Amino acid sequence: MQPVTVAGVTKRFGATVALDDVSFRVAPGEFVVILGPSGAGKSTLLRIINGLSAPTAGEVTIGDAPAGQTAAVGMVFQMHYLIESLSAYRNALTGALSRASWPASLLTAYGPEDKRAALAALETVGLLDAAQQRAGSMSGGQKQRVGIARALVQQPAVLLADEPVSSLDPKAARDVMRYMKQAASDRGLTTIASLHQVNIAREFGERFIGIRDGTVVFDGDRDALTMDVIDQLYYDEVDV
Amino acid sequence: MSAVDRSLAALERRLWLRRLASILVVVLIAGATYAGMGYIAGSSVPKLLGDLAQQLPVFAENLAEFLRPNFVDFTIRSKAEGLTGLAGLTGSLGLSNLVGTILTGSNSYIVSAAVMTVVIGFVGTVLGFPLALLFGILGSERVTPFPFNFIFRATMSTIRAIPALVWVLIYIPLASISPTSAMLAVATDTIGNLGRLFTDELEEIEEGPIEAIRSTGASRPQVISFGMLSQVATSFIAWTLYILEINVRIAISLGVVGGGGIGQYLDLQLGFLEFDKAMAALIMVVVIVLAVELTSSRLRARLRPGGGEPTTLGEAVRSLGDWRRWTGTAPR
Repeated sequence: MQPVTVAGVTKRFGATVALDDVSFRVAPGEFVVILGPSGAGKSTLLRIINGLSAPTAGEVTIGDAPAGQTAAVGMVFQMHYLIESLSAYRNALTGALSRASWPASLLTAYGPEDKRAALAALETVGLLDAAQQRAGSMSGGQKQRVGIARALVQQPAVLLADEPVSSLDPKAARDVMRYMKQAASDRGLTTIASLHQVNIAREFGERFIGIRDGTVVFDGDRDALTMDVIDQLYYDEVDV
Repeated sequence: MSAVDRSLAALERRLWLRRLASILVVVLIAGATYAGMGYIAGSSVPKLLGDLAQQLPVFAENLAEFLRPNFVDFTIRSKAEGLTGLAGLTGSLGLSNLVGTILTGSNSYIVSAAVMTVVIGFVGTVLGFPLALLFGILGSERVTPFPFNFIFRATMSTIRAIPALVWVLIYIPLASISPTSAMLAVATDTIGNLGRLFTDELEEIEEGPIEAIRSTGASRPQVISFGMLSQVATSFIAWTLYILEINVRIAISLGVVGGGGIGQYLDLQLGFLEFDKAMAALIMVVVIVLAVELTSSRLRARLRPGGGEPTTLGEAVRSLGDWRRWTGTAPR
């Protein structure tokens, strides 16, 4: 279990300010949902925490180390981003890439503990029986669960999810969220997920951070997340 | 005049302008073609057409020769027993005779010459493949940063700019004009053609899976092989099969300049004005090209997403014998 500290993070793309002095701390093992309208800066924030993108100013620390060691952070993407021509098992195994040499990974010659980790992760997301199935032939919800398994195989301290259920129907979305939350609590992962469906967020989130126009406008638990707060986040007519 | 009327009038005006422009383009192309025909013939187009019409009976007379294909050189046995015409075909059946002929590797039997051509195309493709893969990958901007990828792109463009017919001449000091230099020419040509197709394919891949693999902490070679190459693996195989088809045709034309195989046999018979034997070789050429194309297009169809339903090798081979699959009328 590792805490995540975001301190004064600012990100500019040319003249556009995507994130403006964002700060918060996520306690070890906490399950945090980031809410906000499209273009608020949720994806940019997650990419910076993951180390896929560098902030213009400020810094992110995971445990005691600065962000950038991507293997320590598992990421679940909105569009799953699996390799569709490979099986669920081999997709999950790509989570172990950082522990294998290039030739070994080409030959699928991972260590036995990595192979077990891949199957265990598929079991966690309820897909052990579908391990041999081609990712391309799976349903949207199953693909996203394979995406979670891949992140778990990384054996990360922190799990990030960027709109993991926004391209799924409500039932599949709830399934995916349930598996993700279960996996996070079983393995004691600090989890940060961005969502834009408020009902799903309320159902699964413990703590909520609202972002609008690149700044944090709300930070609180489920009881504090009232309809007024949601209106402030998503609609223009209320002053923020 | 309402806003709708005004925008309708504007749309109509634009439509007319576009029609006028397309008519103009068609007229220009037709005019350029007419002038081009005159340029090629070195005379006016009506004179060219008149000359062709005058020569037509002579051409038809020679064509009649072609209508009696002579398969006397089909195999060892047909040649030894002097089986002319179609009897050369029917008299050649028998495994030991066919295999024995193929094993001679000679360009004076139709069967072994045909096998030689296919082998030149196949071996040339396989030998060219590794360098095509290397140059194709390094030529992509996704792998090599912008100005440097042009080193590899330019190399491939240069190779492509020189036709295989010229490559075989370039290899004369190495292997004279022979099946060996034909093989090298096909392999060289493959680097340019196939490599370019690989590069283009890589430019169109999705960024998402690449980022997903990068986020696992994978090394650079791992990101390239899993994030990028795994996305294009099936299309790389499909393009290689397509280039194999082209390479077999190139191997035929390389034979005509002396690079062995059915092309060389054909050239020899035409040189002796043995049009009946040449026709037998031409039929073989058509058979080779069709067989390679059909096999390759069948294999490629199976690679396509959805076309690759789990089948055993046995089923795949059996379905090759189903003519309705070739013609696309098979019930699904």
